[in-house]
Amino acid sequence: MKPHPPKLADKLLEWCAQHAPIEDLQGDAHENFYRNLTHMSAARAKADYWKNTLSLIFSYALKKRKKNAAYPHYSSNLFQLTMFKNYFVIATRSLIKHKFFTAINVMGLAVGMSIGLLFIAMMSFLWTYDNFHTNKDRIYRVISKTDDKQRNREFASAPAALADKLSHDISGVEAVVRVNSTLSVNAKKDNNEIPLNGYFVDPVFLNVFSFPLTKGNPHTALNKPNGVVITESAATKLFNQEDPLGKVIELTNLGLVEITGVLQNIPKNSHMQFEVLAPYEAFVNLNRNQPTAPVDDVWEHRNSYVYLFLSPKSTLDQIQDFLNRIPKNSYTQKANYEIGYELQALPAIAPGRELYNDIGPDWSYASLSIFLVLTLLILIPACFNYANISISRALKRMKEIGLRKTLGGTRQHIFSQFIIETILITFLAFGFSCYIFILVRKEFLSMIVGGSSTLSLNLDARSITAFILFALVVGLIAGAVPATYFAKLNPIQALKLQPIGKGIAKFNLRKTLIVLQFALSLGFIMGVVTVISQYRYTVNFDFGFNQKNILDVALQGVNPQHAKNEFAKLAAVKSISMSSGIIGSSASETIWVKNATADSTEVAQFYADGSFLDNLHLTLLAGKTFADDSLSKEWVIVNEQFLKSFKLPTPASAIGQRITLPNGNELTVIGVVKDFHYTDLRSPIRSFFFRYNPQEFRYANLNLTSTDLIETVGGIEASWKKLDTEAKFAAQFFDDEIEESYSFYFVIVKLFGFLGMLAITISCLGLLGMVVFTVENRMKEIGVRKVMGASTLNITVVLSKDFVKLMLLAALIAIPIGYVFFNNLYLQTQYYHITVGFTEIAGSLLILFVLGLSTIFSQTIKAARVNAVDTLRCE
Amino acid sequence: MKGYIGEFEELVLLTVASLSESAYGNSIKEQIEARTDRSISLGALHATITRLEEKNYLKSRLGEPTQERGGRRKRFFEVTHQGKVALHHIKELREDLWKLSKATLSLAK
Repeated sequence: MKPHPPKLADKLLEWCAQHAPIEDLQGDAHENFYRNLTHMSAARAKADYWKNTLSLIFSYALKKRKKNAAYPHYSSNLFQLTMFKNYFVIATRSLIKHKFFTAINVMGLAVGMSIGLLFIAMMSFLWTYDNFHTNKDRIYRVISKTDDKQRNREFASAPAALADKLSHDISGVEAVVRVNSTLSVNAKKDNNEIPLNGYFVDPVFLNVFSFPLTKGNPHTALNKPNGVVITESAATKLFNQEDPLGKVIELTNLGLVEITGVLQNIPKNSHMQFEVLAPYEAFVNLNRNQPTAPVDDVWEHRNSYVYLFLSPKSTLDQIQDFLNRIPKNSYTQKANYEIGYELQALPAIAPGRELYNDIGPDWSYASLSIFLVLTLLILIPACFNYANISISRALKRMKEIGLRKTLGGTRQHIFSQFIIETILITFLAFGFSCYIFILVRKEFLSMIVGGSSTLSLNLDARSITAFILFALVVGLIAGAVPATYFAKLNPIQALKLQPIGKGIAKFNLRKTLIVLQFALSLGFIMGVVTVISQYRYTVNFDFGFNQKNILDVALQGVNPQHAKNEFAKLAAVKSISMSSGIIGSSASETIWVKNATADSTEVAQFYADGSFLDNLHLTLLAGKTFADDSLSKEWVIVNEQFLKSFKLPTPASAIGQRITLPNGNELTVIGVVKDFHYTDLRSPIRSFFFRYNPQEFRYANLNLTSTDLIETVGGIEASWKKLDTEAKFAAQFFDDEIEESYSFYFVIVKLFGFLGMLAITISCLGLLGMVVFTVENRMKEIGVRKVMGASTLNITVVLSKDFVKLMLLAALIAIPIGYVFFNNLYLQTQYYHITVGFTEIAGSLLILFVLGLSTIFSQTIKAARVNAVDTLRCE
Repeated sequence: MKGYIGEFEELVLLTVASLSESAYGNSIKEQIEARTDRSISLGALHATITRLEEKNYLKSRLGEPTQERGGRRKRFFEVTHQGKVALHHIKELREDLWKLSKATLSLAK
C-alpha cells in the first residue's frame, strides 16, 4: 500500500487555519511528501511532512491568511458607498431626534471653532507677508545682536555706517539700501497740517523692493535731495483728485519738497508701512544742520535699517562671513558694548523672530504662539465637551451598536460611523462659527495694535480651504474618543445595555474636564474683573496734582505769549500756564546730568512756566518758581527724588546747587517741589526737574472756573481764532487725557472678555449636557424619592450637589493660580498697581457661580417638579 | 531605503523569475534547495512569499486542480514590475560595490 501523508497533521493544519484558505499550502506539502518518497523512507517522509506542516502552522503566511479571512468577505470593504449612505442617514436621524444635545454640541463646537478660525485666517494672511516682492529670494536684512554685558538683545536695525562697508568692501552685494524710519513730518496744506510717516531711503529702494509707482520714474524719483515719493492715499489726503506729480509742498523740518512720484498704496502684507519716502541724503543733510545732534549718530543703529540685494551668484555664507569679521565693538561708542550682525532673509522677517526696534508690525513667533495657546485653551475644551456629552449618552446608542456588530460590523465600521457623525456635527458648527467669525473679525482687528492696517481677515480661496481642513481636523479630534469608545463595545454587553466596566473611571475623566473648564473660565473672569479694577484704580489715582477743570490747548506753533494774552481776556479762565507736554500721561524725556560731587544721573525733564506749579496745585517745599524771563532758562525746579539721588539732605540745602548738562551748560536749582507723578503709573517716581524755555512749550493749560464748561470752551475756541494761526483748535480736558492714556486697559478687557465669554459658554454647555444626562438617568429615582415624601427643594439639592462640588473644586484650583498670575502681570505692566484682593476674587466667583448655578438649577428644578406618576407609571 | 529586500527574499524573487510560468510553492522550494544545497521548510518559504506579496513584489493566481496533489490547486507566482525594479536596484548596488572593491576581493594570491 502506498503510504499517505499523516492525517493528523492535515487535521491540525486545517484546524489551526480556521477559515483561511490553505488549499495551495497543503497541496505543496502533499506534493513534497510524494516527491520525498522517491528518495527516502516512508517514516522519514512522514517526519518531514510533520516538520513542514508545523512550520506552516507557525508561519507568517498562515497568520496573514487568517487575518484576511477573519471578516466575511462582504463586510471587509470598509469604504462601501451604501454603508456611508446609511451612516449619513442614521447620523442625521439621531441628530434630529436629539435636538437638544445636537444644539449643545453644535453651539459648543461653533464657539470653540470661531477663535480657531480667527487664528487660521490670521496665519493664512501672515503667510503672504512680503511675497509680492519679485526679488524676495535675494533680499536680506542685516540684524544686530547686542551685548552690553548685562543682557543680549537682538535688534532688527543696524548702523547705517555698515552700509558703506558692505557696498564697497565685498563683492556679491548688488545693492545696499539704507532705510531710516524716523521720517515723521507734517505737511502744510491750506490751514491744516497733515501728518505723514515714512522712511528716508536710498534711491535704489524702489528698484530693489516691488513697490510700484503709478506716476513718476522709479529710477530717478529719489535722486534729488528735495524730491519725495508719496503713496496714493497720502496724495488723496493732500491734493484730492489733482495730479500730485511735480507739486511742491512744505514739510516740517524738511522744508519745501517736490513730489516726484506716486506709489501704489502699500499692501497690508508688507512689513514696511509708509506714506512717504524721502531720499536718504535729506536725512544726512538734516542731521548736518542740527549742531545739537551727537557726533556719533552714524554709529547709532536704532531706527536705522540695512537691506541687501544680493547678486544671484553670491552665497549667503560669504556675506555672513564678512559680517562676522567686523570687530564687534567697531560700531559703538559705548564701552563694554558689542554688536554682532546676522543676515535675515526677507520672507523670514514677518512672521519671524522676536526683535527689538522692528520697522513694522511685530509678528513674532512668540506673540503668535501666545495666541495659539489661547486658541487651543478654548478649542480643546470644546472638543472635550463633545466627547464628554457623546460618551455620557452612550446608553442610548448601545442597542444600535450591538446590532451592527452582530450583523458583521467591524470596529473600523463603528469607528468610521461615529467619526462621520462627528464630522457632520462639526460642519454644522462650522457654519455657525463662520458667522461668529464674520461678526467678531472687525472687533478683533481693532484689538490688535495696528491690526487694521497690517492685517486682513478677508476670506480667500486659501483661508477657506484651510477652514474646511480645520473643520475636518476638529471633527476627527472631537470624534476620536467617542468613536473608539463605541468601537470597543462588546456586542453582547451592548445588547444587554450593560455599560462597559470602566464606567467610574470615565466619569472621573468627565468630572476632571468640567473642573478644568470652569477653572479656566474663572481665570478669564478674574482677568476681566481685575483689569477693570486696575483701570479704576489708575484713573482715580492721586497723581499729586490737580487735574480737574484744566483744559489743555495744543499751541501748534502759536507764540505762547500771544496765546496767553488772548486767553487771559476770558473771564472763565482763572489762570494760564504753559508746558511742554501733558504731565502724568506719557513717558517723559530724560537727560543725563551731574553736579560737582555726584556721578551722572538720569533725570526726567519737563518744560513749564512760572504759573504751572500753582495751576496744578503742586507744592513748593523750598525756593521759588520761574520768573518767566530769559534768566529762568538757566533755572531748574527739582523734585524730592532728585535730592535723594544727589544726596542733598534738605530741600533748602538744594537751592543754589549747580548742575551740569551733557552739553556743558550749567543750571541752578531755584526750587524744590514735592514728589508727584510726572509720568504714567507704569514707572515709579524718579529724579525729575522742571526747566523753562518758551520754545519748548506745546500746550497752554487753562484753569477754568467750573460753571458752564461747554460755553467756556466755546469762548476759548473763539479767542483761538483771533490768534494769528491757521491751525485748528485742539483742546482736551486734563483728566480726559489721563484717562485716555490708559485706554489700552479696555483692549485687555475686551480681549479677556471675549475669551472669557467663549470659555464660559463652552463650560456651561458642557455642564448643561452633563446635568441633563444625569437628570434623565435619574428620573425614576426622583419619582421614588417624591413618593417617599421628598420635597422639590430636597430633590433639587440632591441633584445639584455633585455639580456644585465640582464648581467649588474649580474655584479652589483657579483662585490661587489666578491670584499669582494676575498679581505678577500687573507688577510687570505698572509700577503702581492693585493687588488682587478679596473684592476681585469674590466678584469673579459671583459671576461664575451665577452662570454655573443657573445652568444647573434650570435643569434640576424642572426635574424635581415632574409628577412622580409620569416617571413611575410603567413600573 | 524603501522596500528593503533580505537575502532570502532576493533568492525567492530570483527563483520565481527563473521558473517563469511554473513558479509555485514546491517548485520554488526544490529549485532553491537544489541550487543552494540547503534545506528550507515550506513555512519559511511561504512566510517570505507572503511578505513579498505584501510589498507588491510578487503576485499570484490559482491554477487548475491536479491529480498529483489530491485535487488541490497550485498557487502560481509571478514577479511584478515593482519586484523587477527592486531586483535591478540591488543588482546595481552589488555591481557598484564590486567595482569599487576589485583589488581587495581578488582571489588571486
